[in-house]
Amino acid sequence: MISQEFAFFAPKTVADAVSLLGEHAEDGKALAGGMSLVPAMNLGVARPTTIVSLNHIPELDYVEEEPSSVRIGAMVRHARVERDPVIGRYFPLLRTAASVIGDVQVRNRGTIGGSIAHADPAADYLPVMVALNATFRVVGSDGERTIPARDFFRGVMETALAPGELLVEIELPKLPDGAGSAYLRLARLEGSFPIANAAAVIAGPQPVIAVGGATAAPVLVDVPVELDSGTQDALDQVEAAAREACAAAFADLSATAEYRRAMAGVYARRAVEAARAART
Amino acid sequence: MPGVLCVVTGGEIREETNPIPPTYDPTAVGLKTAEWYALCVDRARYVGEAVAAVVAEDKFTAYAALDLIGVDYEELPVVADPEEAMKPGAPLVEPGWGDNIMFSRDIVLGDPDAAFAEADGTVSGFVRSARITGTAIEPRGCVAAYDPYTGMLTFWDSTQNPHPLRNYLAETLGVPETSIRVIQPNVGGGFGLKIPTFQEEPLVAYLARKLGRPVKWIEERSENFVTGGHARDTRFYYEAAYKNDGTVTGIRLNVIADVGAPSALCGWGMSFVTWYCLPCVYKIPNSETHLRSVVTNKCPWNAYRGYGKDAASFLMDRIMDHIARETGLDRAEVRFKNFIQPDEFPYPQVSGAMLDSGNYPEALRTVLSMIDYEGFPKLQEEARREGRYLGLGIGQELIPEGCSMPGSLLLNGCDGTAVRVSPTGQVTVLTGVTSPGSGNETGIAQIVADALGCTLDKVRVVQGDTEMCPWGFGNYSARSIIIGGSAAHLAAVEVREKMLRVAANMLEAAPEDLEAVEGRIFVRGTPDRAVSFEEVAAEVYRNPHGPNMEGIEPALEAERYFKIGNVYHQPEKQGRFSAYPSWPNGVAACIVEVDPETGKVEILRYCMVHDAGMIVNPLLAEANLHGGIAQGIGAALYEQIAYDDFAQPLTATFMDYTIPTAVEVPSLELGHQETPTPFTPLGTKGVGESGVGAPLGALCSAIENALPHLDLRLTELPLTPSRVWSAIQQAREKAVVG
Repeated sequence: MISQEFAFFAPKTVADAVSLLGEHAEDGKALAGGMSLVPAMNLGVARPTTIVSLNHIPELDYVEEEPSSVRIGAMVRHARVERDPVIGRYFPLLRTAASVIGDVQVRNRGTIGGSIAHADPAADYLPVMVALNATFRVVGSDGERTIPARDFFRGVMETALAPGELLVEIELPKLPDGAGSAYLRLARLEGSFPIANAAAVIAGPQPVIAVGGATAAPVLVDVPVELDSGTQDALDQVEAAAREACAAAFADLSATAEYRRAMAGVYARRAVEAARAART
Repeated sequence: MPGVLCVVTGGEIREETNPIPPTYDPTAVGLKTAEWYALCVDRARYVGEAVAAVVAEDKFTAYAALDLIGVDYEELPVVADPEEAMKPGAPLVEPGWGDNIMFSRDIVLGDPDAAFAEADGTVSGFVRSARITGTAIEPRGCVAAYDPYTGMLTFWDSTQNPHPLRNYLAETLGVPETSIRVIQPNVGGGFGLKIPTFQEEPLVAYLARKLGRPVKWIEERSENFVTGGHARDTRFYYEAAYKNDGTVTGIRLNVIADVGAPSALCGWGMSFVTWYCLPCVYKIPNSETHLRSVVTNKCPWNAYRGYGKDAASFLMDRIMDHIARETGLDRAEVRFKNFIQPDEFPYPQVSGAMLDSGNYPEALRTVLSMIDYEGFPKLQEEARREGRYLGLGIGQELIPEGCSMPGSLLLNGCDGTAVRVSPTGQVTVLTGVTSPGSGNETGIAQIVADALGCTLDKVRVVQGDTEMCPWGFGNYSARSIIIGGSAAHLAAVEVREKMLRVAANMLEAAPEDLEAVEGRIFVRGTPDRAVSFEEVAAEVYRNPHGPNMEGIEPALEAERYFKIGNVYHQPEKQGRFSAYPSWPNGVAACIVEVDPETGKVEILRYCMVHDAGMIVNPLLAEANLHGGIAQGIGAALYEQIAYDDFAQPLTATFMDYTIPTAVEVPSLELGHQETPTPFTPLGTKGVGESGVGAPLGALCSAIENALPHLDLRLTELPLTPSRVWSAIQQAREKAVVG
């Protein structure tokens, strides 16, 4: 039950949205799919006095293929990420991640930009963005800038976005032909937030691995080995490196910190194995 | 604030209303009670207990006004852990009590010390079931409307028990119960949690009378998690003595239940019932059982499907598995060795329970055959070669029904039903039992149609209205069919007897030569000599002075009350009495796959044989079992209401309170066994809570069995992946050290 009054704006352009968010930088909140903000308001955890809805801005809803990248508008819903042929062709792990978010209703409403900007540590997209080396285009009253995903996530629901800034686009460099990738998650229930998740991309000799869910923000796993050999030793090193990267794992009702750290390792290794198997 | 009609606090409530009466006569069971008003007075005893209420023109305004209320709390010492709470000098939840123990029971049977001294071996251990709650799809809610001209208060409530609620409201408001009409509309799930009386019910009734306008209250899910009532949070310390052949010769059991803050809710009784069921389906000649129901600063317990029976079965499963492990005997063998045998009923259990009937060995044999117990080791070995870890587990349950507590206007063992056949042969059944959405009205209609010999489509069942239905205790303890259905049977038989007399006159035959089947009454052996059900009804009403009605009382209406047998309320010298007339039981066998790297468990197969006596409607009985098993799986693997060390609740949404979905619950394989009870006219035993107990022991057993190379000890529910993984790590460390 939302018990406080708030002003509601539904601008039709990014420029208007940014201008409104600039005016209400202190107490305003951008509303995308509302799958996190609205429950938080219902529980009284979030109490914004101004809501700027992005749901009537057509220019934020697109998937565009470029020669070496794919650009995704921030308001593209999870259901479209799950089914879009361009995304599916170049980033099968992103399709997998979108397909396991919440339930059908959540996927029909929730957006890729909303999830990334909200930056829940357990969100499915986060390690995928880090592993794919995504770039986020953000617009504020001072103009536009890009932020690499690897610099974007700062902590629990903390990002590099300045007050009043709006995430408008996700740009992903295409994976080369023959690359393998995978996204895996460990969750207590189908549809619940993961305890740990991992994304792996094998495009060259060095695998790229990111793990999420275990720490306040997703981490890129530093892997000092070539894994083409696929040896048990190399996989063990991946597991150890991911555990190391999640030294600051947190505990909650679902899992102890020790467990999260261990699962970061297990899921990093399994993601690498799955990415290897997915190579063509 | 514009739109706000009134604000009340505990002071006004204490002035204007009475405390909510306790569930049972506290002196009959030796229970400590505390005054519990519709709003808390002076001291809030748990987070979530209402201290003020706002009535406004709309919900938005009411919640906005609530935000403006500031409460200055003086912080008192917190009682968060039941075992700490039992220590001398612990802070008191109720200062007047002297300690934090609300209720206790201690019973000795035989000579446990001698049994332990003479045993071939003993085991001891600890297990714990988690604090959980039922999560009905519809939370609580009620509407009260007061008519100042007639003085009648109409109260629509998502309740299971309209008549008792009416009495509780009347007593709380200080008005005669005849000035209140309680109506139960269709209820979106109860699971025991809507057994009255919550603080909000008399509160809303009071406010409607005070304001002279209708008042509505609909609960939010996040409110329900912290105030709707909790269950199960029980710790068990056990010791068992056994012979080398697996015979259990003695047990010592300590049951410690964290029942939360004292209240007038009936939930604390679950701890009594846990103790009362022990040692469940087993014959153990020497025992010592202790119960301590301890109050803490948490949400009070409230009834939840299983009502503590589940926890007793879980404990006994863990003990049987433990003995199997120590003796090297098969887990099923240990159970077979200790079962009460089918020819030993009625069987008096140590607590005073009188088990009516059952065939536990046959049910276990059936379920073992369903799951191919003999073939499992081969399956397990094959999976192991593929790097997969499969385990099989067995869980017994004993789920007594028809609860009847001495001196209780809420839980007792009788109910009324009226059967009325109209002049055109339509049948109306008015019954004091209600349905929380489980479909028992269909079962009652079947019982009536069968007894009357009419077709099912003629029968309409009316429930849940105190102005229309006979006085009844409503729905709890799977009593709607066994008690309301039995009353319906008696009333319908009475109407049929009259109809047969009239039909006999119409057919010029003797009543005892007639049969009534599917709307036709005919002479046995000559089916052409027949009248229809409608013709007989018409004759009764149209020609009361005619020759066919000579010496017969007019109309076709009967109202009968059924009082179930096998209940003994006169306590004997150890204070024991028999509260449950009927003892349905069941046994489950399941196969799980465990990922030893993550501790994640997947249920591959789940088989259950249940015995609830005569089944009236197999489809509805199975549907009940599906729900019960899903809730049992939830309690075993997924669900927990958590508090921190300062009794602050941590679980307020379904994000944290994870209930299993269609993805987690496997396709269920059910087998029926029917051992009728001698204590109901149709042999029905009640099926409403069946299925909920066996998953706890069965899943623990299966997970341990999946990793036979480790000495895995699972002690705490729910078995989350994190907990299973931790148990695996501990077992590995122990193996290395050992």
